[in-house]
Amino acid sequence: MIRKPSLRSRLLDGLLFVLVLSATAAFLFGGENASGYPWQWYRIPRYLLERSEERWRWGPLMQGMGMTLALSGISLILSWAVGITAALMRLSHSIVAAAISRGYTEFIRNTPLLVQLFFIYFVLGPIFDIPKTTAAVTALSIFEGAYVGEIIRSGITSIDKTQWESAYSLGMNLSQTYRWIILPQAIRRVLPPLTSQTVSLVKDSSLVSAIAVADLTLQGQIIIADTFLTFEIWFTVAAMYLIVTTFLSVAASRLEARMDRSLRR
Amino acid sequence: MRSDPPLHVLPVPWLRRCCSRWTALDTILLTALIFVVTAACWKVVTQLRYHWNWLTLFGHVIRIDPDTGSPTPGALLQGLATTIRLSFWAMLVATPIGLAIALLRSSRRLFNRWTGRTFLELVRNTPPIVVIFIGYYFFSERLLSVFDVSDTLQDLPESALLWIEAGFGPRSQLPAFLSATASIAVIEAVYIAEIIRGGIRSIDHGQVEASEALGLNRLQQLRYVVLPQVVRNILPPLSGQFVSTIKDSAIVSVISIQELCFQGTEIISATHLHFETWITVTLMYAVLTFTLSYGISRLERRVRKHSGSALFDKRMTG
Repeated sequence: MIRKPSLRSRLLDGLLFVLVLSATAAFLFGGENASGYPWQWYRIPRYLLERSEERWRWGPLMQGMGMTLALSGISLILSWAVGITAALMRLSHSIVAAAISRGYTEFIRNTPLLVQLFFIYFVLGPIFDIPKTTAAVTALSIFEGAYVGEIIRSGITSIDKTQWESAYSLGMNLSQTYRWIILPQAIRRVLPPLTSQTVSLVKDSSLVSAIAVADLTLQGQIIIADTFLTFEIWFTVAAMYLIVTTFLSVAASRLEARMDRSLRR
Repeated sequence: MRSDPPLHVLPVPWLRRCCSRWTALDTILLTALIFVVTAACWKVVTQLRYHWNWLTLFGHVIRIDPDTGSPTPGALLQGLATTIRLSFWAMLVATPIGLAIALLRSSRRLFNRWTGRTFLELVRNTPPIVVIFIGYYFFSERLLSVFDVSDTLQDLPESALLWIEAGFGPRSQLPAFLSATASIAVIEAVYIAEIIRGGIRSIDHGQVEASEALGLNRLQQLRYVVLPQVVRNILPPLSGQFVSTIKDSAIVSVISIQELCFQGTEIISATHLHFETWITVTLMYAVLTFTLSYGISRLERRVRKHSGSALFDKRMTG
């Protein structure tokens, strides 16, 4: 077993950690002498919150954040729908449904999201008249849907077969069994991996800047092109993403810990 | 599961693979699929009046050299080569970094664990595209200007340069290539770290206790007892991460590294062959990753058969 370190060594380690952290921060964000880069942090706040005509308005970075959250939110719901459909199709008796689902999952998981984004925007876009933002949401939902589908499928197959047998002996048919017995348990069981998949979704949504959807990343790029505040803006953007994703990550690990406990009981 | 005889009477759909049959759903889905594909083709032909020009695009895959008349790789094949080079070097750099983070995270000292965790969470929770942008400016403007790659290159003999070009691509793009590789390596390192840590945790604790009883110190325990077993367990997920690296490497097209995705956008801005280019680029990625995935699944099967390792047993029984 790992021996519990003594209180003194733990305090010492904590102190050392804080020291290293502040040294790194001082090196990164210190004045020009320390880092060799002329930091201009005072120019950043106006891109978060700006005052025009006696009123406070969100700056471009916060607007970009809103766009990122909106894209991720809509894609999250759609990717769940896509994922559940793909999982059910894959597990069905139907030959065509299983084949479509298998082909979809394999193909999506084996090509880069960026290429899919370009493909949907430039190839399918003109064919089906898909505007830019819709193309972004579509690409994200289809991409994440493949992963969500695999997660949900693993959840469904992990349900004990006695659950099926009991449901059938109660006279339920296939869709009732899924609706009332299997899916509620399966989804609950895969909630932790689904939450980490949401972190991936928020991160992946940054790629839509490549097709000029005005999300957080693109707003950052635009500001940098104007002001050359390269590191300040990128660190700010990274911090903004970090706040959202860390919140989700913490939620995921909490959920996982709770699931572990309830499963062990 | 295989040993249960009355499988066919079980109501569980996914256990009744044997009973897959043609149902009404199949007919509906097939009709819908045919309808959508036909509608798309019809629209391309009648409304968009798209002029297919596969021949021009083929010229970007394999180019006929005007001087010698012999076929040489075109922009797309060169891009594919850059993608493979980039992923290969990134994985090579990422594995030791990942190992370091994993060892930090499974250390007994609080300081090591916190440092490893902080680095891991910082990189894992930031979008790759942002990491690549920061890495690009950091490496190309800060670090590489210190080491001055271009100057060093000029001092090297021509034969050495040829070797470097074979491994890293054209010498003019070397600084950008190196910073892209470093950024991708950092991104992949945190995933590799988690894979290795999972491998370390899956080792039975009795192994560590036994080696401790034999008087091995912490380093010897890792070197002779833990890591050899970990390597066998994590080989399949580690090679799976290589496929992810290939996919993630497409993102470096935003900093103008001339890999496959970037070459695609370049060809389009020159020729406007949207359809042909994206179809080809997607297929090239798919062929590359499918081949790798197939190889990995065979490797996985062999590892599982020969070792009966703890990790797989755990995964199989959930």
